[in-house]
Amino acid sequence: MGDSTPLPPAGSEPGAAVRVLMLVGRVALGAVFVYAGYTKLRHPWMLFAMSIHSYQVLPEWGVTLVARTLPWLELALGLLLLAGVGLRYVASAASALLLGFFGIMLSSYFKGLGIDCGCFGFGEKLGVRTLLRDGLLVALSLGLTVAAFWSARRAVPAEMLQD
Amino acid sequence: MNRLCFLKVRTLGTFLLGLTALTLTLSSSTGGQTKAAAAAILPNKASGSKSAPITIEVFSDFQCPACKQTFLQTLRPLMDDYVASGKVYLVHRDFPLPMHNHSREAARWANAAAQAGKFEAVEEALYTKQESWAANGNIEAVVAAVLSPAAMKKVRQWMQSSGPLDAAIDKDVELGKSRRVSQTPSLFVTHGGETVPLPPGGVTYPILKQYLDYLLKK
Repeated sequence: MGDSTPLPPAGSEPGAAVRVLMLVGRVALGAVFVYAGYTKLRHPWMLFAMSIHSYQVLPEWGVTLVARTLPWLELALGLLLLAGVGLRYVASAASALLLGFFGIMLSSYFKGLGIDCGCFGFGEKLGVRTLLRDGLLVALSLGLTVAAFWSARRAVPAEMLQD
Repeated sequence: MNRLCFLKVRTLGTFLLGLTALTLTLSSSTGGQTKAAAAAILPNKASGSKSAPITIEVFSDFQCPACKQTFLQTLRPLMDDYVASGKVYLVHRDFPLPMHNHSREAARWANAAAQAGKFEAVEEALYTKQESWAANGNIEAVVAAVLSPAAMKKVRQWMQSSGPLDAAIDKDVELGKSRRVSQTPSLFVTHGGETVPLPPGGVTYPILKQYLDYLLKK
């Protein structure tokens, strides 16, 4: 809980700047995750399962498992990011998830699979636009993760001083 | 110093908000489902009951290997389990791709067979013998092997007047283009007045079955 937006040493302007950027970044990323989860949950899970299956990376049981759980995971990550709870860990998990998506999408694109992205619901083709968007999200998430760890590290001496 | 820092934060904050807006904009124009009822259907290229609660339209190219796979692994069991029992009305739509040199000719034969009331038999033959006719272009032999001489005579008569056959194919192609079909097979499910495009390349019978059961319970 305490690592959400740790306070930098008093009067430190770069710390304040990072804190504001982290707030904007986590709200933005959180909103995207909530939206991604919502767009999948508003349709039957089987449609998302078809999107996952088209990537040809999971067996049938894996497709079903991911189709039924991933939208809830996205929703949970989004809400945790918006709330700023456990930011270092949540941002790390979001980065890992987005990097995984990006790798699979990139590989499928270069294999020439003419499939749906499946990123925000269904009916959207995997292409340069979706790759660009996912790349931006990866960059945002990685930036947020680095900032969260950096900020937490800076916060420790301040807490020690207070003790 | 304070003012400089404020300007930096404001600039970076604006950048991040812009990034989010761009992300959401890029994701907002997804195709998704189209709320349009199934287009006019020619009964001679369809299987099952017109009054079935679900209609599935398959935009297909007879020379496309993925279409063959979908026909054998998904549509065949679908016909046994859902079309025969009156739950699904299955409609074939022609979408011959220019990259396949014999696909339009195969579609002509299939449409001629449909006019003679023999679409299902010819569709089955075209898919199961796809490799053979795709290699040598002898579609007529494949069709003749599954039809009686009388039926084949009718089909050959239809083949002599290619205008109506091409018109039927072009009508399907235009319908496909209006629904943003760019590859085959592309499946559309219509239930309760709502038409949903199924994700391309991901339709397997076990998942489709669960989806159809879900729709039938709605």
